[in-house]
Amino acid sequence: MTAATGRPDTGERPDPLRRPEAEQSASRDRRDAASPVRARGGWRALVLQPVLVALGLLAYVVWRSTTTLSDTEARQLGAATLWDSVLRHLQLTVVAAVIVLLIAIPLGIALTRPALRRFTPLVIGLANVGQAAPAIGLFVLLADWLGFGFGTTIVALVVYSALPVLRNTMVGLQGVDARLVEAGRGMGMSGAAVLFRVELPLAVPVMLSGVRTALVLLVGTATLATFIAGGGLGVLINTGITLSLNSLLVSGAVLVALLALAIDWLGRVVEHVARPKGL
Amino acid sequence: MSDTLSSADAHSTDPAPQSSEGRRVSGVSIRLDGVTKRYPGQDRPAVDAVSLEIPAGETVMFVGPSGCGKTTLLKMLNRLIEPSSGTIHLGDEDVTKQDPDQLRRRIGYVIQAGGLFPHMTVGTNVGMVPRMLGWDKERVTARIDELLDLVGLDPEVYRDRYPKELSGGQQQRVGVARALAADPPVLLMDEPFGAVDPITRQRLQDELLRIQEELGKTIVFVTHDFDEAVKLGDRIVVFDVGARVVQYDTPEAILAEPAEEYVADFIGAGATLKQLTLTRVNSLELKPVTSASVGDDAAEALARARAAGDEYIVVLDRRGRPISWPTTAEVSRMQQIPATVDEKLPVVGLGSTLNDALDTMLAASQGGAVVIGRRDSLAGVVSIETIMDAIQRTRSEVAG
Amino acid sequence: MWDYVLDRRGQIAFQAFQHVSLVVQCVLLGSLIALALAVLVYRSPRLTGLANGVSAIGLTIPAFALLGILLAPFGFGITPAVIAVTFYAALPVLRNAVVGLAGVDRSLIESARGMGMSRLSTLARIEIPLAWPVILAGVRVSTQMVMGIAAIAAYVLGPGLGGFIFTGLSRLGGANALNSALTGTIAIVVLALVLDLLLLLLGRLTTPRGIRV
Repeated sequence: MTAATGRPDTGERPDPLRRPEAEQSASRDRRDAASPVRARGGWRALVLQPVLVALGLLAYVVWRSTTTLSDTEARQLGAATLWDSVLRHLQLTVVAAVIVLLIAIPLGIALTRPALRRFTPLVIGLANVGQAAPAIGLFVLLADWLGFGFGTTIVALVVYSALPVLRNTMVGLQGVDARLVEAGRGMGMSGAAVLFRVELPLAVPVMLSGVRTALVLLVGTATLATFIAGGGLGVLINTGITLSLNSLLVSGAVLVALLALAIDWLGRVVEHVARPKGL
Repeated sequence: MSDTLSSADAHSTDPAPQSSEGRRVSGVSIRLDGVTKRYPGQDRPAVDAVSLEIPAGETVMFVGPSGCGKTTLLKMLNRLIEPSSGTIHLGDEDVTKQDPDQLRRRIGYVIQAGGLFPHMTVGTNVGMVPRMLGWDKERVTARIDELLDLVGLDPEVYRDRYPKELSGGQQQRVGVARALAADPPVLLMDEPFGAVDPITRQRLQDELLRIQEELGKTIVFVTHDFDEAVKLGDRIVVFDVGARVVQYDTPEAILAEPAEEYVADFIGAGATLKQLTLTRVNSLELKPVTSASVGDDAAEALARARAAGDEYIVVLDRRGRPISWPTTAEVSRMQQIPATVDEKLPVVGLGSTLNDALDTMLAASQGGAVVIGRRDSLAGVVSIETIMDAIQRTRSEVAG
Repeated sequence: MWDYVLDRRGQIAFQAFQHVSLVVQCVLLGSLIALALAVLVYRSPRLTGLANGVSAIGLTIPAFALLGILLAPFGFGITPAVIAVTFYAALPVLRNAVVGLAGVDRSLIESARGMGMSRLSTLARIEIPLAWPVILAGVRVSTQMVMGIAAIAAYVLGPGLGGFIFTGLSRLGGANALNSALTGTIAIVVLALVLDLLLLLLGRLTTPRGIRV
């Protein structure tokens, strides 16, 4: 019913891709490097990125096995401890990401339905203001309210990274040509059928790029978990800084960067594979 | 001379009811009673109490300036827009109270550029409604092929393509095929040919005339192009603001006697010339022509052409569609009839207007054109002289 | 909360100034670097790909990690903060500038060259003005992002409002911890929005009227 709402029969249909708020919000995404356009031409980039990660990892392993470390450093950088930190970091990222998807995608879908569409500017406006908040401030404030630990960290991560998924879900759905929705309804598909068979498949590229953005944001932001006892690779960096142990600091930083790159790459691969044929 | 209009109809084995003119009719009538649409916050209704009767199996064109409510009225027929008041009957059924999704599956709907789903193949697009209606797989597959064939696209070639791999005209054909998939009695078309170039538009129009000849659906077609309305419509409804019906009549009657100044203005200058668009190629005497199929023996075809006194041989592909027309001189140098497709071959349909036919010949710089009938099969050839004669005749009739 | 703010208004104003000053200078520097790089690469598809790759990969590196790495050679203080903030400020501008410049209609450039404009003046008078809205959008993204990153930079003793947040963290549970963290966070949000508004205004004023949307 989309095209039918506004005014009668002018023969002109506004191009949904040019809605000012969609444009505006898309450009405000901090890490939306993302536009599906890039993912398309980029087989070479898709190959290059894991090679870079592998080389980085190799360099780190070589450095680690050739440097002599003090006792403290060796304890912190033992294979088992290191692996635990990486796993913990991943755990934070994945748990938060799953919650984000469960909240943001249905919300995004709901906000693009005709009945709720009028709340869209409000939500997007709020989300943009929220996005301007520094992550570290959010962590500290939530810790003051909910205490330290894993749970609080997850809450902070979810709050901080829900926006890209929410926004890209909405932008993706709004970007679907209103005429296709009308064609679907016109041939007797129910509203739900149009959503699942036409709108969502067509919005998938944009939505996935939002998910990838959120994942990368999560890996990065999870380094701040160390400040509120959430664990992860941030602990290494933080310990390195407080104890002036460069080996710890660099280990943490390098591993987090590699992890972020690896996850970004995985996201790109998924985007490439899941892009509906025919687009 | 090859086969002309075949009487075989692949669509239905039921004996079809015949209209008074003897045409096959599979459509139902549509009756609108006081159909009104008001939008909140607008003092004048977009559609104001329209009552209209559309006979079964006819093509009725809605024309009028943009914003006059014709599209709104069309969309109320399949309830994409809900009427504020009034009733709509399809046949004897009041559809205003029916479940809209069920209703729409029985009404074909074609919009500009076809509205094809870009992430689905041509076949999936066409098979959409039959699948929703719960047809089994084989029946859907068979139906897809049948429909692609109907709109002149080779199923083998196009079934598994994606819409973006088709030209604008081909997409539009698929759009028509999709709308016809469940054999709906009614077809709604919302400025379907608005986005294609003039030559393609003319071909699509011819195609629609041909399909309608074959199927006899009830078609409601919105356009702002009066020439298109004259060419395609059995009847034309001219609307003014608020979807006020200014005149509802056959194209001939509207051209001859515009009901109001408004209609005369809308038809615009050159109304007499527009009469030309009323005369169709099928009213002309077509010349039979020698035809040969790809791979036939060239010498044998040549002998037949010479016996018939033809200067050309029309080459048909394996589906019986004309693909080129080499001269006898050219054929005499061949061993076999080649499969080369002449992209510039001037082709017109039986439903084409004289204007169209003339345009086609001029565009191809040829003194004649191949005429095709049902399923793109060869119907004969027409020469530029025949057309000029007919135009002269029409003009003198109009003038007299 | 209000008393807290009133008591420390001098300090808050000073830190806010420091924060904005760090961000504005770094964004300016980063944008200039990014624009220069974009001008160098946008003509070659290969280098463009490389630049896009660098900006995409650069943006995946967590800010806290980069700050950590920079501590090793530079030690605590303003240097690692400036380098990190400038780095992140440059990346979105680089990406947008490349996209914007590459998006300028070739025929316009040809007609400019055809009427005898030099390469440089074509760039300065045709290409950059046409790409300007896109470039400026990149600057806005940068500014928003580095406002937050500058807060983390306070941890390596960079200047700015992040100090309030970390003070709050270190005294969590104690008096004024919440006030301190809230002050820092809210001040950053407000300043980020003000800067964004100013950039929007700048955009209105500097975008040629013919290409405004």
